[in-house]
Amino acid sequence: MDRPRSATLITRTSPKGVSVTVGQTSPGSEEIVVRNLTKHYKQLRAVDDLSFTVRSGRVTGFLGPNGAGKTTTLRMLLNLVTPTSGTATIGGQRYLELDQPIRHVGAVLEASSAHRGRTGVNHLRVICAAAGLPRERADEALALVGLTPAAKRKFKGYSLGMKQRLGIAAAMLGDPRVLILDEPANGLDPEGIRWMRDLLKALAAEGRTILVSSHLLSEMQQLADDVVIVAAGKLVRQGPVDEVLGSMGAAVQVRVRTPDPAKLTTALAAFQPSITPLPDGALLVTGMETAAIGHAAFTASVELHELTGERADLEQVFLQLTAGKAGIR
Amino acid sequence: MNLVRSELTKLRTTSTWWVFTLIMIPLWALAVLYNWGSSYATQQASTASDVPADQAEVVQVAGEAINVATTLYTSGQFLGVLLVMLLGAIIVTNEFFHQTATTTFLVSPHRERVILAKLITAVLVGLLFWLVTTVLNLIAVPFVLDALNVPVQLGEAGVWRAVGLNALAFALWAIVGVGAGVLIRSQLGATLTLSLGYVIGTMGASLVFFLLAEYVAEWFEKLQVLVPTTASALMISGTELPGNPPRWVGAAVLIGYALVTGLLGTAIMKRRDIS
Repeated sequence: MDRPRSATLITRTSPKGVSVTVGQTSPGSEEIVVRNLTKHYKQLRAVDDLSFTVRSGRVTGFLGPNGAGKTTTLRMLLNLVTPTSGTATIGGQRYLELDQPIRHVGAVLEASSAHRGRTGVNHLRVICAAAGLPRERADEALALVGLTPAAKRKFKGYSLGMKQRLGIAAAMLGDPRVLILDEPANGLDPEGIRWMRDLLKALAAEGRTILVSSHLLSEMQQLADDVVIVAAGKLVRQGPVDEVLGSMGAAVQVRVRTPDPAKLTTALAAFQPSITPLPDGALLVTGMETAAIGHAAFTASVELHELTGERADLEQVFLQLTAGKAGIR
Repeated sequence: MNLVRSELTKLRTTSTWWVFTLIMIPLWALAVLYNWGSSYATQQASTASDVPADQAEVVQVAGEAINVATTLYTSGQFLGVLLVMLLGAIIVTNEFFHQTATTTFLVSPHRERVILAKLITAVLVGLLFWLVTTVLNLIAVPFVLDALNVPVQLGEAGVWRAVGLNALAFALWAIVGVGAGVLIRSQLGATLTLSLGYVIGTMGASLVFFLLAEYVAEWFEKLQVLVPTTASALMISGTELPGNPPRWVGAAVLIGYALVTGLLGTAIMKRRDIS
């Protein structure tokens, strides 16, 4: 049987100079829709009435502190964990209802999910056999992730980065329209991270739906078009990265340097900002604009040596949004 | 059947199968030697006159040429089915030990099909082990029988029936193994529990049934067939042994165990969260 919906094959070159072949298919809407998804364990609401939508043709970052329920959510989406209530569908169907699911959805869940004593290419051939894909797909997928030289080496000899690449190769075997990755950047070196970013962006540009969970926020800022932020199993914020960042305008941090920090702190107290002393003697003020701080200092006759506004990045927004909701549950 | 092909590929692409084969061959040789020795002892006993009257009949029948032959032609059953059961369990526990269960169930979210494929694969492997030991027996045992002054008897229907039922035993133990692998997810736990349970459990059960029969009621002895190893041993006797249930009871008991573990395993696997 041939791969479905493979119209043409394009060849790209990855940063490492490895020839990469990606199946290009006509764009179709295969949205991921999560509705009121809930998972209760004995003493824990791992996922609590979570709803969000992941659009096609975009990279969506799935963010949350450790233990926020990201992995559980992805596993419910893939029919590995049974939800207590709620639904998760891909292109309108539950994973269980998909005919030949790995031709629709590719998933990378753990880096170490292969038998230690099996070679990389054999690991992929096992999957090909089960899915009724031709054996050659294993070689093609290895070439896609640049693992061809290590094809006949055993999995236990792989580095963490190679394991991640093998996981991505396995996910790409069925040339899926939807790709779900759980912390794929774990263990990748900077070059590997860049390679993966380019690959995922290229795949999204072909109209595929890409959902990536991560706690590497700076990486997400460069990769994701949309973000879904969760904490303690609940949705905190969802939307395009720019929108989420923009909505946090008030959260801009300002560096202030003054010879009299105590007096400045008193002068700003009425505005209830969050003030953190920095190691170099400056203060980090959150919750006030630069102009407001300058004005308050001027009114109270506090001498200022530095007043610098810093643009909010995803990390700050994330920390602010999930503050108090994170931690060990 | 793609899934069975995939399971066979899984088995072929790791070292498990040849490690098991390497263990199998010396164990088989040991079994032949043991059966040779015990057959010789039985022969001596059946001609001796100091055997207690109530056991004399059993010893007499066991010493018959056909029963000596069936015992020897099915050499390797006791430890062979243990290995096949372990392999069946490992086919399942492997998936958790190496975290490949995730990938397996992503490819085939209908888990009952995966378990069915594993059951079929385990049975195929069980039959392969049976085939290997049987071929080895057919080559070696005629010499042993010759040394015991017993005819080769390859024309006897009883011998072939025992060999055939032995195949059934291997297949059924493979199924029990897969079921057990689902119940005990830990690779080490499953391997240890099954091996120790098999060997010590068999001895312990014989002792318990012996004591029950001796001190409580004699009919307890008839229940000993409920011990799975006794059941499979019963299946391969050449003639009906006096005081023992008929052969089909052994088969029925073993099929019962295979059904219960196979179905229970599938039901549990369907519900379990894979994380």
